[in-house]
Parts: sequence; C-alpha cells; structure tokens
Amino acid sequence: MSLEDTATAEQHSAGEDDARTAGTPKLRVEDLTKQFGRIVAVEDVSLEVQPAEVFALVGDNGAGKSTLMNVLSGVHNPTEGQIYKDGQPVAFDNPSDARASGIETVYQDLALMNDLDIATNIFMGQFPRKRLGPLGVIDWDETYDRAEEIMMEQLGRDVDIKTEVEFLSGGQRQLVAIGRALAFDPDVIILDEPTSALSVDATRLVQDTIDQLADRGITIVIVSHNIESVLAHADRIGVLFQGSLVGIEQPAETDLESLNDLMTTGAPQGGRIDD
Amino acid sequence: MATERGFIGRTFGDRDDVALTLLDNMIWPILAVVLLGVLVLVPQTFRSVELIFWGAVPIGLLVLAESLCLLSGHFDLSVGSIAGFSAMFTGMILGTCPSCWSLTTNPWLGFAIILLVGSLIGLTNGVMIAKVGLNPFLQTLAFLIIFEGAKTAMQTQPVTGLPGLYTQVGGTPRLAIGVMLAAFAIAGVVLQYTSIGQGIYALGSSESSAREVGINTEQLIIVVYTVSGMLSAIAGLMLTGFTGVVPPLIGEGLVFQAFAGAVIGGISLFGGRGKITGALGGVILIQIVQSALNNSGAIGATQIQAINGLVLLLAIVLYSTQTKLRARILASGAT
Repeated sequence: MSLEDTATAEQHSAGEDDARTAGTPKLRVEDLTKQFGRIVAVEDVSLEVQPAEVFALVGDNGAGKSTLMNVLSGVHNPTEGQIYKDGQPVAFDNPSDARASGIETVYQDLALMNDLDIATNIFMGQFPRKRLGPLGVIDWDETYDRAEEIMMEQLGRDVDIKTEVEFLSGGQRQLVAIGRALAFDPDVIILDEPTSALSVDATRLVQDTIDQLADRGITIVIVSHNIESVLAHADRIGVLFQGSLVGIEQPAETDLESLNDLMTTGAPQGGRIDD
Repeated sequence: MATERGFIGRTFGDRDDVALTLLDNMIWPILAVVLLGVLVLVPQTFRSVELIFWGAVPIGLLVLAESLCLLSGHFDLSVGSIAGFSAMFTGMILGTCPSCWSLTTNPWLGFAIILLVGSLIGLTNGVMIAKVGLNPFLQTLAFLIIFEGAKTAMQTQPVTGLPGLYTQVGGTPRLAIGVMLAAFAIAGVVLQYTSIGQGIYALGSSESSAREVGINTEQLIIVVYTVSGMLSAIAGLMLTGFTGVVPPLIGEGLVFQAFAGAVIGGISLFGGRGKITGALGGVILIQIVQSALNNSGAIGATQIQAINGLVLLLAIVLYSTQTKLRARILASGAT
C-alpha cells in the first residue's frame, strides 16, 4: 500500500474524523519534488489534507518540511508534481498567488513590526481605504474596528488593538500573526513552528486557537518540531525523512517514541525504511 | 465566540503609561523649557518670530529629508551636500556671473533643474543601497564627499545674477515658511494616511518583516532616498533665496543639524518610530537655540559649528536615555 493509499485509508476511520475527512480534499499534493540544483529537498511527496483538518508535518532538520511548506505557500515552485486546491490544479508563482487562492502562511519569525500597533500589523499592506476627495487614504476607523473584530470574534481575545507589538508576549505575538492571516479570509492556514520557543502557557494559548480555527472550518497545516504538541492537537501527522514522506500517522494510533523513530530513521521502531 | 482567555495589550500602570507617552513626545516639554529659558535670558531673540521661522526653513527641509530616511531604518549623510550641489549646479546654469555657464535665465526651468538634480542624486543613493546592496553609511558618505568636491570644483566664488523669481521663493519669508510647512504637512499626511507612509514605518521597524508581508522594500527605499534628495534640493533653493546668490560654502555642515533636529524631535535612529510633528518641533528648537546664541553676543559666528556639535551630542544623549528608559519600562511591564 502506498503512503497516499495509507493516508486515504486512514481518512476513513470511525467517528468524528469521518465527517471532517469526507469529500474533496482541501489540499492535495501529487508526486511533488523540489530540487535546488542537485540537492533534492523534497522527493515524490503525495498527500491530502481534508477540509477543517489540522494536519501536522513533522521531521528532523533537513527533512524537507520547510521546503514543502514554502512550495505550498508559493515561495518556491515545485520542480515536479502538482498541487490541487479544492480539487482544482493550482500553480503559485509567488506568495500572493497562494494568498489569492485562500492559502495564508504564518512564518516562524511571524513577520511582525515591533514598533507598530496590533491593528497596523494585521492590516499592513492591505489597509481598508476610504475616499478623501480624489485620493484613496487609509481608513483608520475601519482598520481598528476590523482588527478588533478579528481578534475578538475570530480569535476570542479581548485586546487593546492600539498596543505596539513589542509589548506582547510570544504567544500573543503568534495570535497577532494568525490574526493577520485571518484578515485575508483564508480557508487554509499554514503555520510554521507555531509553538517554537513559547512558554507552556503561551503554547496552550496558541494550540487552543488552532483548535478553534479548525472548528470554524479552516484547514490548518502545522509545520513543527514539537511532537508532543502535534500529537495532542493534530488530526493526522505526516512524517518527512530526508525529503520523503515516510508515514502519515493518526495521533490515537501512535506515540511520541514511534514518531521520533520515524522522524530520525525513516522507519518505525528504529528500523531503516529500506530494511 | 466569547472571550475565553486574557487580555492582550499593555498592562502597565498609569505612571508607566505617562512615562512612555512623555518619552515618545519628549520634544515638546524640552521645547517649552528652552523657550522659557530664552525668553528670560535672551528675550531679544523673539523680536521677530517670522525671522526665526524663516531661518529655520532650509534646515527644516533637511530635517524632514533625514527624518524620512531614519523612519525607514536608513539615513542620509549627503542631504547637505545634495542641497549645496544642486543649488550650485542650477545657479551656474541660471547665473550671469563671469564664470557662470549662463545657459538660461528662465526661473521655471531653474526650479525644474534643481528639483531634478536633487531627485536624481537621491535616486542614485537609493538604487545603490537597495539594488546594489551598499551600506547606507558608506554610500551617502561617498556622495557627501563627491558632491561637496564637485560643488567646489564648479565654483569657488559666489554665483550671482540669478533670476528674481528664482530667488524670491526662498527670499520671501512667508512664502519660504509656507513651503516648509506644506512639505511637513504633506509628509505627515502621506506617512499617516497612505500605504507608502505606513510601509516606511514597517520598513524601518523590520525590513525582513515588511518584505514578508508583501511590501516592495527595494522600491520603497529608492522612493525614500529620491524624496530625500528632492527635499534637500528645495533646501538648496531656499538657501539661495536667503542671500540672492549661491555662496561657495552653501549646504556645508548642515547634515549634523539635520540629524540633531530629527533625533531631538523623537525620530528613532533605528527606524520605525517617530512623528513628523516631533521633527518639526526639533527644527524649531534648533533654530531658537541658534537665534538665541546669535542674539546673545556670547559667541561668534565661527563658534556656531561647535555649538551645533554640542546640540547633536545632546540629542544623541537624550535619545540614548530615552531608549534605555523605554527598555526598562518594557522589561518591567511587558505582558
């Protein structure tokens, strides 16, 4: 059984997951390869992510998860293979194309501007506008109202929207970055190491937010090193090893040790994949 | 969805909030104290407020040019030499002195040429920094030296015989002040109400983040330096208007005052923070100090440059103190 077959079979597990995984995949990657010169960063990866699913991509350093994420978010073009969104083939020449297709990415560095307030960070580059005579100018009232709405109604956080980002903790900064992604009204959000370097409380805050977004129907792809976190919150976990997808696991049917084995050796229980 | 978890935002006490607000707007209490001091010690300084503002026009435009660069996380050491070179170059074209080129006497052509020269030099600064990747310090230092030298190479005597209309803009106090205030007003509106303006703040706060959110940072850097060059050229036009001639030392040494005015006005040396109104306050402060010193008779014209250096040092000390205080408050109250 191929990995894709395995993944498809796993999608039809019993219970609540069935409802989530039924129908056309939100994202489908088919035979995707990405090479940088002679280096093959991602090789022949196929996977599907279902609507409103929290799908985690894990792997050791150099496993290819960041490259795969960058291909999905339009930073890199695939060397071979095809991406499908809602069943339709798509090609992204840049992140704007991915954004136009409803895929938003929150990078690990969060791309926040410390000196600017929360609302300005959320709408930087996409401010609501109004007419002032012949000129189109930033509508600050609308900017603050919509930013507050995103943080309050979509992320459920009481917020002083005029607070500069430098005043925020790590978890709160992550929420602002997610808030910016939400401002584009995406149906897929890719999160790059969302709980990296966060405290326990902040990690919980971000994880709760991810769960809430999935409950609201947004498909989440998490790229992470934090195996414990993805075990607790992902619906499925794709494991990359040396550029190849070596397994798609259900959290209920695996554990930390097995995932670590898979990540570090490419095969379960310490065996080599080519054993 | 109900609010489920804590508040996101400042959790400082009132005292810290007041302190932060004061730090961000420190120019105004400083200006008030200086005004009071000058009123008491050198009251004759205020015989003509219009003259003080008129005198502030060239440096005001240079402070504005420098402020835009600083807000974008860059800086421009060549603002004074751009002002001097563009004024001298245009003067040579328009002037009727024996060693002038005297190519035209059309003042409108003169306005176009001086703006074009300043903008082109600024554009070159921007391209070298954004596209070629040169360090802003080294690039603008090189242009400072090159254009100071080029100006001197062109002419070592005052350029005379300029068209009346050409010198009237800078030579008419209210018109010159109006030009400066209009430039500040336009810059303020652009910074506050346009995507380009907010992009400048974003660029100054974090160039990589600005790039990641889709801002064309290279293009924006080029725009900032081009506008800086154009504002410097207007400053050169105003300096020409003061005396009706182009003196050989025009524009020299003004970069230090430009930095001092911007920094005293609360523009961050590291970009992303500061208000244009604060920079205007910095301009007024510097001009009042200069006028007071001139009126006091305590120092001669040759000592003014040393005083300018002291003002710059004071500005940097104030900035450093502000940064430390801000960091301390942040460390004590960050959520």
